[in-house]
Amino acid sequence: MIDTQLAALLCSGSFILIGLYAAIFLDNIIKKIIGLSFIEEGANLFLITLAYKADGIVPIFLPGMSPDWFMANSAYPLPHALVLTSIVIGACTLAVTLAIAMVLYKKHGSLSASKILGDNHE
Amino acid sequence: MNELIPLMVIIPITAAIILNALGGKNSAVKTLSFVVAIVLPLIPIISNYGFHYFGGHSPLIDNGNLLSSLPSFISNGSLSTFHIGISYSFEGLQKILLFFLFIVGFLAIFTTINERKRISGQYMFLMFMGLGSVTAMLLSDDIFHMYIFFEIAIISQVGIILSSNDEQKYETAMKYMILGSIGGPILLTGIGFLLALVGSVNITDITYVIKNGIIDPYSPVFLFSFGLIFFGWIYSVGLPPFHTIKSAVYSKATPSGSALLQALSVVIFISFGLAILRIYSHLPFVHEVIIFFSLAGMILSITMALIETDLRRIIGFLAVGELGYIGLGFGIGTNLSITAALFQGLNELIITALLFIGFGVILQLTKTSDITKLGGLIEDNPKISIMVLLGGFAMAGVPPLNGFQSKLMLIQSALKANFPELAIIMILVSIVTFMTFIKIFHAAYLKPKPNNLTVEKSLVPRSTIFAVGVLLIICIVLGLIPDLVVKEFSVFVGGLI
Amino acid sequence: MDIYILIHNSVQKFKDKIKKDTITNENVSSAMAAELTIISTILISSIMLRHVNVLLTVLIILGLGLFLITNMPLISKLKKEQDDSLNKMMFYVILTLAILVSAIYWGVLK
Repeated sequence: MIDTQLAALLCSGSFILIGLYAAIFLDNIIKKIIGLSFIEEGANLFLITLAYKADGIVPIFLPGMSPDWFMANSAYPLPHALVLTSIVIGACTLAVTLAIAMVLYKKHGSLSASKILGDNHE
Repeated sequence: MNELIPLMVIIPITAAIILNALGGKNSAVKTLSFVVAIVLPLIPIISNYGFHYFGGHSPLIDNGNLLSSLPSFISNGSLSTFHIGISYSFEGLQKILLFFLFIVGFLAIFTTINERKRISGQYMFLMFMGLGSVTAMLLSDDIFHMYIFFEIAIISQVGIILSSNDEQKYETAMKYMILGSIGGPILLTGIGFLLALVGSVNITDITYVIKNGIIDPYSPVFLFSFGLIFFGWIYSVGLPPFHTIKSAVYSKATPSGSALLQALSVVIFISFGLAILRIYSHLPFVHEVIIFFSLAGMILSITMALIETDLRRIIGFLAVGELGYIGLGFGIGTNLSITAALFQGLNELIITALLFIGFGVILQLTKTSDITKLGGLIEDNPKISIMVLLGGFAMAGVPPLNGFQSKLMLIQSALKANFPELAIIMILVSIVTFMTFIKIFHAAYLKPKPNNLTVEKSLVPRSTIFAVGVLLIICIVLGLIPDLVVKEFSVFVGGLI
Repeated sequence: MDIYILIHNSVQKFKDKIKKDTITNENVSSAMAAELTIISTILISSIMLRHVNVLLTVLIILGLGLFLITNMPLISKLKKEQDDSLNKMMFYVILTLAILVSAIYWGVLK
């Protein structure tokens, strides 16, 4: 049986690496953006994994629980709160990026990053 | 009046949301944004120093009744000193920086209102959202909270770029978003490592835990988190390799927009930089790494500024290069150098805003910012040109302006800390800055006017002259009486280390 | 080779490199100033290695000086590397991330 936490950590690491690969090597802007959201989700998964506790309980202190037992068995609630915020921010960033991609496609008629985002300063 | 501390964030964000809802209602948008922008600088002035704990969650140790009712492993352990909720701290540094940030913000908003006949509520939304988010970053004692508001600031920066008239704005915004979508999550992962190690994202808690030896400061997790957070920092402020995109971003927005953008960047630089110094300054190589990247930023930006021909891009590169000075001050890491770096940051915030707004007049009158096509504009607007010249002197560090005072302090601190090489490089770079500035000033104002240059005969808006004048007065006052702000900064830095 | 001739030649090369712009005194002199700035600042900042090892510093500075002067029109190469193309930006960003993380992680781990 694989340790769930370890598996999730490895998964988040590979998410980040796959995302970086896509963002660097794929030419299509939409594919790049998908890669970027992979990086984002990898970071979120990493954060949420920190809160995991095998056979843990929901971190709500109910009457009748002993504090020591609660401490030993509850999951850590802080990362859940953080990840929730972070997912919202990630969604906003993704929306803005996709909106810009749409405008760029209308302007250039193409989604090739090397064509659109190459050196067009001169 | 400690209740005012959260209002510094809440007021601009609420105003932003209302302005967004108002949308195209021209006069309502103008009135509301003017009133809010003029009220904002007053809040840091009348607010008292202190802390604000959101939800009333002060550390347990401050709350005797509650503490005595808890089990002993909490009340006697380090948990009792931890901050449970988000906390804001408001001290001398925050007071001064926020005051001047809001002044720059007011001037940017004021010139925008006056330049444009029709003003959209959405654009004002972006400006106020940017102001509110960097304010939260500067006040916050919580590194995750800083990350969230940093991402909000990035989105509003992108929005400000998109609302200009530049042809290349979409491409630049796209590049910024792509690079940002790499830098942001990497920063978040670094924060995650810190969270895994300490169990809290509050900077005071993290430093407490490290100082009391509860965690091993040389553990690989801690070092890894430094690498990732530092990478996020250089992305957020535009040190190399992000200096090209940052200067491109500055050069694509409207002049008042660029003035605000660089002000936001300076505040982001200072808030993240202080967080990094507080958490990691005991690691042996941290200062060297900061010095390396700051030096690279200074050298690469200043040389690129020299050979660039687009006026706004040149100022963009100069602005990024000046950030290197702040970085050097942080990197040297003595009390004097950090004080000088904060002072330099404040000065840069003001001077670069002056230059962007001042040179923006050229773009407005001639519709070009290519210095090879410009010339002879001094006869069209002599007032602005003299004020811009003085602003450029301030940036290069000519006495008695404010840039001189902060650069002198930085050079002295470098000499005292046994880094004479850094002092020499700082002098060298400020000479080259001077040269670059004189070059663009000559090209735009003094050189004979090319025949094919058409200058619109409209008057320079009074609001622009007013904005540049106010910023110049601040430069001169801070140059003559630096103690107005330096004392507060040194008190703050003394409490930091 | 005579160092004067080297510098003279590199000035000639400047003119060729920036031929697509209109050549003015300003262009050439600012390119030269940028060139000198970059060489001098790199050399001066490498003196800081003396905190590590003095002999190493001498060797590195001599080597760097030779390398920089023989590759003289540096600034055109640097400008080419710092244009607005996304691929180049991305390359340097990833390179920095990789170097930063691995140097800090393995450097201290030993």
